[in-house]
Parts: sequence; C-alpha cells; structure tokens
Amino acid sequence: MIIQDTNTTVHEADICIVGSGITAAMMAAHLAEHTTQSILVVEAGKHTTPFAQRAQARERYVGYGESPWKSDHVDDQNAYGNTWGFSPSMHVGGLAMHWGGVSPRYSPEDFRVKSLYGIGDDWPFTYDDLDPFYQEAEERMGVAGEQGPAALDPRGKPYPLPPLPINHNLKQLQQWATNAGIATWSTPSAKNSTPYAGRAQCQRCDTCYPVCPSGAKYSPDFTWDALVRDKKITLVTETLVRRLEADAKTGRITHATGNRTDASGAPVEIRAKTFVLAAGFVWSPHLLLLSRSSAFPDGLANRSGLVGKYLAGHRNVNAYLELPMELLPGINVQHSLVSKQFMRPGKQSRYLRHDLRIWESSVGREPRLRGTDGKLLLGDALLKDWQQRAKGATARVRGYYDVLPDRESKFTLDSGRTNRFGDPMPQVAFRDASESAALREWQEEELRTLFRRMAKAGGGSILRMENSSNDLGQEHPTGGCRMGTDPLTSVVDARGRAHDHENLWVAGAPTQPTASCCNGTLTFAAVGLRTASAIATG
Amino acid sequence: MTTRNDGPSARRQFLKTAGVLAVGTAAVGSAACDVKEPAQVDESSVARLLGFDRTLLDALAITVLPASLGAAGVRAATDRFVAWADGYDPVAEEMHGYGYSDVRYLPADPSPAWRAQLEALDALSRKTQRVPFGRGTAEQRTAVLEAALRTESGERLPSPLAARHIALALLAHWSASSDAWNLALGAQVSPGTCRKLDEALRAPLPLAPAGASAKPEATT
Repeated sequence: MIIQDTNTTVHEADICIVGSGITAAMMAAHLAEHTTQSILVVEAGKHTTPFAQRAQARERYVGYGESPWKSDHVDDQNAYGNTWGFSPSMHVGGLAMHWGGVSPRYSPEDFRVKSLYGIGDDWPFTYDDLDPFYQEAEERMGVAGEQGPAALDPRGKPYPLPPLPINHNLKQLQQWATNAGIATWSTPSAKNSTPYAGRAQCQRCDTCYPVCPSGAKYSPDFTWDALVRDKKITLVTETLVRRLEADAKTGRITHATGNRTDASGAPVEIRAKTFVLAAGFVWSPHLLLLSRSSAFPDGLANRSGLVGKYLAGHRNVNAYLELPMELLPGINVQHSLVSKQFMRPGKQSRYLRHDLRIWESSVGREPRLRGTDGKLLLGDALLKDWQQRAKGATARVRGYYDVLPDRESKFTLDSGRTNRFGDPMPQVAFRDASESAALREWQEEELRTLFRRMAKAGGGSILRMENSSNDLGQEHPTGGCRMGTDPLTSVVDARGRAHDHENLWVAGAPTQPTASCCNGTLTFAAVGLRTASAIATG
Repeated sequence: MTTRNDGPSARRQFLKTAGVLAVGTAAVGSAACDVKEPAQVDESSVARLLGFDRTLLDALAITVLPASLGAAGVRAATDRFVAWADGYDPVAEEMHGYGYSDVRYLPADPSPAWRAQLEALDALSRKTQRVPFGRGTAEQRTAVLEAALRTESGERLPSPLAARHIALALLAHWSASSDAWNLALGAQVSPGTCRKLDEALRAPLPLAPAGASAKPEATT
C-alpha cells in the first residue's frame, strides 16, 4: 500500500526487505512461496542494463572496457578504506549482476574452527543445518556442479544441473593435478549447463564476470522480474532507507524513514511488521549505526557493541605455471577446476585451510613487439614469433586462504564524507585476528610450496607468483552483524534475528562469523534462506 | 579521409553502420552475442573528429600486420580498427566490479594523437627516406617505424586503448581479435566469442587451409 501525504510517501507492508541483491532475491522468492504476507523490497538504486541490452553492453565492455552496467551506483553513497571486496554498485540486483557465478559451498570445518582447531569461533549452526538451504539456493539459481569425492564434498542431494564440462584444456590440467596427488572437479557455477528456468544454455562467451549476454548465468534481476510480474512483491527503487525507528520500551522496529535518491530527494516512510536488512556487509550494519536514538545511543541491535565489527574475508596466493603439454587458451577461460582437499585438512600443527582452483591461461603466450634479441617484430615476423610462443601450456592456480577476523576489523562512520542527506559514509579497515596475523607469512609460503610441488610434478616451472595486496582489504567479505547465541558477543541469533529487536532480521553476509576460503555468494544466499525460513514459520 | 561529426543524429547514423564492428574481437557467431542494433553511447558527448588518413593508415597496416592475412584480410582488419576507434566513447565509466570503490572513467579520445602520429610517420619518412610514407618500400616503412617506436619495449603488446602509438594500437587491436588468436594457435579456438558448450569437450578443429573459410559454424 502507498499513502501519499503532502510531502512524504508512506509505504506499508507486512515484510520490508532493505536491499535487492542476491540474498534479498532468494529470500523474497522463498517468502512469496511460504507466506501470504505482503512483501515490500526497497532499493536505493535504479534498474540497470536490461537483459535485452546485455549483448550490446558486452560488446562495448570487450571492445573498450566500458562498464556494461548503466546507472549502477548512487553518486554520493560509497565506502572508503580497505574496499577490495566491496563494489560501489547499488542497483536492482546488487553485486550479483556482475558476479562470476562461481558457487562453491563452504566446507563443514568452516562452521567449527574453534572446536576443531582451537582458534576463531564456531558458527551457531553446522554445515548439515545449512545443507537444505544450500540446496534451495542452488535450485533457485540453477547451479551446475559435479559431485566431488564424498569425503571432501558432502551434500544431501545432487546438484540441480549437470556440471559445466571439463573441456579439452581442463582435461589435461586435471590429469596433471591427479599426478600431483590433488583431486579436482568441475567448479560449481550458477550457469546453465542445460537450459533451465526459462534461461538459455551457457555459450562460454567468457564474460561471465562482468556480464553474461545469453542469460545462462543467474543474476537476481531474473528473480525480481518474475516476482514483480506475478505481483508477489512490491519493488520500490531509488529509495534510500536512512533510519530505522525502534520503540524505546519494546525494541520493536516501528517504521523506517529515508529519502528518494532521485533529484527530488523527497522523504519516504515505510511501515512494516517485520524488517529485514539484506543490504550486504557494509550497508546493513551502516543502517543500524545510523539509527541512533536516545533509547539506543550506539545504534540499533548494538548492545554488544559489535555492529560494524568482525569484518571477515580471505586472501589469496596466485601463480602461473608453465607446463609441458599443449593447451589452447580461450576454450573457456572463466571455467575452472576446483579442489576442496585443502579445506578439510584434518588435525594439523599450524592452522591453514585453503581452496584450490586451476584455470587455463594465456599468460606468456601473447604476441610481443620485440624478439629476444630486442629487434622489432612486425607483420609475419610477429605472427611467426607468436605462433612459437603460443605452443605449450600455461596454467593459473590460486588458493584462497582463511583469515580469521579481529574484533576491531571494522568500519567507522566518517563524518568527513557524507551523502547529500548528511549521513556519514563508512570507512572500512580490515584487521586480522592475532592468530591469523602470526600465521600469514607461513601460510602464504605453504601455498607457494604447494604450487612449486605441483609444477615439479608436471615437469613444469613457475612463471610467476603473487599475493593479495596488503592494503586493499579482503575478498568475499562478510561480518558486521555477526551471529551467535550470546547477545553480548553477537548481534543476531543463529537465524538472523536481532537479539535486541524481535521484528528485525539481518540476512546473509553480514551475519557470518567468518568468510571461509572460497567464493562466498552461495553461502550468503543460503544463510539468507535460513533466515527467510525462520521468518516464514514465525 | 577524416570527417567531422557534429551532431547526435550523425553520430547515431554512424553507429548504425559501425556498431557491429566496434569491438576488439571478431564478429561473433551466436544469437546471444549478435548485435542487431548499434551500441548506445552518450549522445551529449562533444563532437569528435572521426577516421584517419586512409592512405597513410593503409601503408601502416601493410607494414605492421602480417602479409599472410592477404590484402583483403589486412584491409578488413584496418576497417575494424577504424570502426573501433571511431566508436570509442571518451570518459565512459569503466567497469568497477571489485578492487576499488571509486568510480573510474576511460581516458580521453586517443585518436587525435594517433592521427598526429600518422602524419609524423609521413614527415619522418620524407626526412629520413626522402619518400612519402605511403610510397615507401617495405624496408623504408619499417625503418621509419623502428625510429618511431625506438622507446617502446616489447614484452607484450599493450591493450589497444593504452597504445601510445597508432602502430601499436593497430597491431594490438588486430592481435586481440579471435581470428588472430586462431592463427597463432593454429586452431579454431575463437576466444572471446560465444560458442556451443558441448564443443568445448573436444580439441578445436585445425584451421582450414588457406583460401577456405576458417570460421567455425555459427551457433543458433
């Protein structure tokens, strides 16, 4: 329902979801199927490039590096500091409009690192508890995957789609990995290996990140389009929620206020019985901190003082290896092999868990302007030199390793940077927990040693190796509203409900105590679906 | 021949004819990737001078691109380069997925500098070879380019947009194409194009003999 008084537009619904990224899309779809409550989704940004224009957008991205996503951010709404894993994208669909679609699950160990390894914190639920929600997320997105060895890759049901093929290049790389003692399989991906949910089969256009022209890769706009078309939800765009108002006595959220992000900047009020923050690891806790009042002077849901803290992520070591085989780079560059062998290491004297991905690569096999003798290469001389260089094989390998967050891994509100409404923007500063900081050098050397061993096993050599940059932040970030059973050491409970506000829920990435050592989007969505299930069942 | 484009409608008309070519890779063969309409650019952009002195550019092309492409192949690659350069939208937003939170923009139009470099090649040829660049022998043109590119290192070619000299831009634009990669690899890999998924299972077919079509069958 929309009420228009003289100045303020008032929206009313049973459930208000703030944010329209992939977690919000999954949750809205679940709630629409499992409740009769009205659902209002509020997005600060606009709709971005529609599907019909994505082939053209891809052309310009490939040709010039232009962003394929038009009108995809709000000019004065941004985060600063260590923002490697952050994107200024703020539009319908969120960051998952440009994600690569890589969809691994975390491993069971991720939920029990304290119990198993004596460091960090356990999650308040187990991998098995999350398994049905992983499955639901995989089915809603359409994840194509290959069952890995059961001991390394446990799951309750099969993937909804057959795996993306182990192509001509990956077959050879898989044999090499096997010889090195590493079990690998096709990386699970939210890309259609067969037509699914009305979307086309993947055509390996190799621009999954940042734009899929065929619709084979899942992106949240597909879910939003269907929900809006079927009148299951109301989607309100260009509306920035700036405050949640809580009853001082009961703690219940009574309404939200904000403004239009269009030129009018007009005020907006949202009344709902249930509020869900699904705006990611920065904007969800940011809204809680902005919602200070005399009754809640540190912001909402912040009895623990942990809102905006325990920001978590992972870093990587990356290497290019020259191998004595013949690969033809370009068959499907964005698809890879994966191994979870090192995510489940068992008991160990020092803590290291990492994933492993293997790709074909063209590094070292490109054309060059000058020969080894320094002479200029033009015309057929350049082509002949290139044909020689193109022989052989380069593999790219990368391991994300788990980084445990410090309590003071956080963002602060920077009053020196404000949006047009005067709200301070977040200044992000990741910090490793002391045990992770002490292990970092050794962990990265262990990964380099693994890559050297892999090269040797294949009779090859290392072309180059590199680490994540020190000062950029961490990848696939989570945290800021960590979940737990104790209201003094966590912001939300195991289902995502705020300890301090019975009708306020935080969904997905911000609630996660840790970020594992693999791509996180599927887990963000699965955790969000677990929250949606709790909301739907009351 | 250069032309001045002074208005949105002229620009739109140009893009209607050039849009399909305005890419760094070869035309693609799938329904998903086919561009039926010109790519959109901001029509409020300031007017730009389009095109290059084609005589000089053709002389450059036959010097830097492989003669084994044949005259038609060199001409086609040059046409694609011109369409690509003319289709550039200066200061458009860059992709900003991850890695930094500020919104960044593509550089200014490189074509004016490239046009000036073409003229400079001609002037240098007249000075050092005593012949216009377009009328020099292959050896004379190469000597001029060696002088013009003496400070360019060669570990790898730049991206076309980052090329500091038009010779490198032309070469880099061609070498980024799917067809060029196929020639280098000796197989119909067709990187960067949309292709049937199942065909990835087998080794790509070898290139067709010279004179036959080397393009893979289009997917639908």
